Amino acid sequence: MTTDNSGDVRLSGISKTYGSFTAVHPLDLTVPQGSFFALLGASGCGKTTTLRMIAGLEEPSSGSVHLGDQDVTHLPPYKRPVNTVFQSYALFPHLDIFENVAFGLRRRGIKSVKKQVEDMLELVQLGEQARKKPHQLSGGQQQRVAVARALINHPKVLLLDEPLGALDLKLRRQMQLELKRIQTEVGITFIHVTHDQEEAMTMADTVAVMNAGRVEQLGAPTDLYENPQTTFVANFLGTSNLIEAEVDSRNGDEIILKAAGAKLTLPGARCSAPATAGGKVLVGVRPEKVSLTHADDAGEVPEGRNRITGRIADSSFIGVSTQYVIDSPVCPEFEVYAQNIDRDARLTPGAEVVLHWNPAHTFGLDAAQDIDAGVETVEADEGVAA
Amino acid sequence: MAAVTEAPPLAPATPKKKPPRKRGRLTPYWLLLPGILWLVVFFALPMIYQASTSVQTGSLEQGYKVTWHFATYWDALAQYWPQFVRSVLYAAAATLLCLVLGYPLAYLIAFRAGRWRNLIMILVIAPFFTSFLIRTLAWKTILADNGPVVGALGTLHVLDVTNWLGWTSGDRVLATPLAVVCGLTYNFLPFMILPLYTSLERIDPRLHEAAGDLYARPWTTFRKVTFPLSMPGVVSGTLLTFIPAAGDYVNADLLGSTDTRMVGNVIQTQFLRILDYPTAAALSFILMAAILAMVTLYIRKSGTEDLV
Repeated sequence: MTTDNSGDVRLSGISKTYGSFTAVHPLDLTVPQGSFFALLGASGCGKTTTLRMIAGLEEPSSGSVHLGDQDVTHLPPYKRPVNTVFQSYALFPHLDIFENVAFGLRRRGIKSVKKQVEDMLELVQLGEQARKKPHQLSGGQQQRVAVARALINHPKVLLLDEPLGALDLKLRRQMQLELKRIQTEVGITFIHVTHDQEEAMTMADTVAVMNAGRVEQLGAPTDLYENPQTTFVANFLGTSNLIEAEVDSRNGDEIILKAAGAKLTLPGARCSAPATAGGKVLVGVRPEKVSLTHADDAGEVPEGRNRITGRIADSSFIGVSTQYVIDSPVCPEFEVYAQNIDRDARLTPGAEVVLHWNPAHTFGLDAAQDIDAGVETVEADEGVAA
Repeated sequence: MAAVTEAPPLAPATPKKKPPRKRGRLTPYWLLLPGILWLVVFFALPMIYQASTSVQTGSLEQGYKVTWHFATYWDALAQYWPQFVRSVLYAAAATLLCLVLGYPLAYLIAFRAGRWRNLIMILVIAPFFTSFLIRTLAWKTILADNGPVVGALGTLHVLDVTNWLGWTSGDRVLATPLAVVCGLTYNFLPFMILPLYTSLERIDPRLHEAAGDLYARPWTTFRKVTFPLSMPGVVSGTLLTFIPAAGDYVNADLLGSTDTRMVGNVIQTQFLRILDYPTAAALSFILMAAILAMVTLYIRKSGTEDLV
């Protein structure tokens, strides 16, 4: 199995244009055999188009698609060893669940499908529903039928186009785990298109964040989250506090920055922008990495931590944590998520505070970018995903 | 619960609200009334009148009386069964031709026409702007003995084949079964295309993609997905074509001969020329019953009850 690369997906210079509109800019991407790969982005970012080009439902304007060593660029979908779970499932309404699942096998001329179909329905826990019509099932069940219908063909690659988009939140979480379980069980390459960053991070081994037809950044979820390379990734994947700062000096591996009187330290390795003295850099830190201390206790903040001051503008208690919005001279809406372990009663809106965090959690981005790229996109596009 | 409904603020409002609720309950019936009246006056009453006519005896001079003379039915059937059979055959042939011609066109409009869709739809309906009679008469010119169509069919030896099949005779198309079936097909084609289009257009294009994704070639996709899903359109299209075609008399009258008379022609003659009302009424009821029986069987067979 280790040398088998027939489930690799290699996209080389693949692009798609519609008239003068470029949906996907020339793109190189390799998805290794057996991985769970997510294409994450807002609607219209080209992720679905990319998926459809792998499926053969869309002809690329340039470039090639390889599955393992086979060039499938010009093969029609019915000749590709790839199956798709469609966004709205696209189950055949005139066939029952059994026949829906058996469809692919029958098309390939396999006569005795009963055992396989029953096993597959068992895998997705729908053994009882075999003789029902799709419209008699709930959304979650239909979704599982769609997965079963694709998986039964043992494709080299399974493509999932926003498969959980139509489900409510609770069911979606449940199906995420279920899909992950199935993927581990069958070991097939999964390519999953989604606009839900949490979904991408929970399920995938590797996530490619797409924006405006390009891959912004590719990596493991933790890597993307901890080391975003662009403001889009920083804002789209979770929340980031971005501070515009000026490079003051370099101290070994560390970059010293100034922002509205505050002095901040940034590990050189975590800065994706050229940091020359006097240049601008966007300094970022995730809300949960920041600690909050009341201004009266400012002296207790340990040395060596990045610290800025501010006033609590808003706080919302959400059970496991409290989310604060801090009005700071360096950043008007600095967000802090504090675990509700020992709550300081003085931390209420209006209180003066000191924000401090370990410099190792700081990341630096190129200041030439739009500081708000990727903000709020997820919420705005919920349910209208491409 | 009782405490809530009896709450003081609601109490004074309750008597005021009651009258409108009563009227509201009757509203559906008022709305149904025009339709029911229409059906009674123009459908139920004529039906009863015809039913009674069919069991009357007498003559035009002495007047007709209801004598429950059911023998009229047997006599009519015994005398005119060839016309019945012919009607069913012609209507079936025309329906089949409509399906064969109409399906590709409906498919094209639904899936391939793009921005031409509306134009093609208008072209399909356009013949309705001309009178049924004029359109049928036009076919007299098209199929004229010295016309280009007959000439071409003769040169290509198609007429030899149709002569042998008994669809045409001599060097003529006009006044033959072929002409009548052509007229029927032409006149009822839109009634086939429109329901087919409606049901094809409703099919989610992603189902085609899904079929392709699951290893179905385009033709298999059509056989296994598109066609089964368009069955409601096929059924209603064939019914909308077959039923009026079976009762039609204009095409047989204008394009046929005495050898191509359909049951509609017989009924027309009995009513308007021979003035034998009981026989005409009995024939009408036999035709109705026959069509009803065939349609019921057809819908059962095609198993589309849950799709329609």
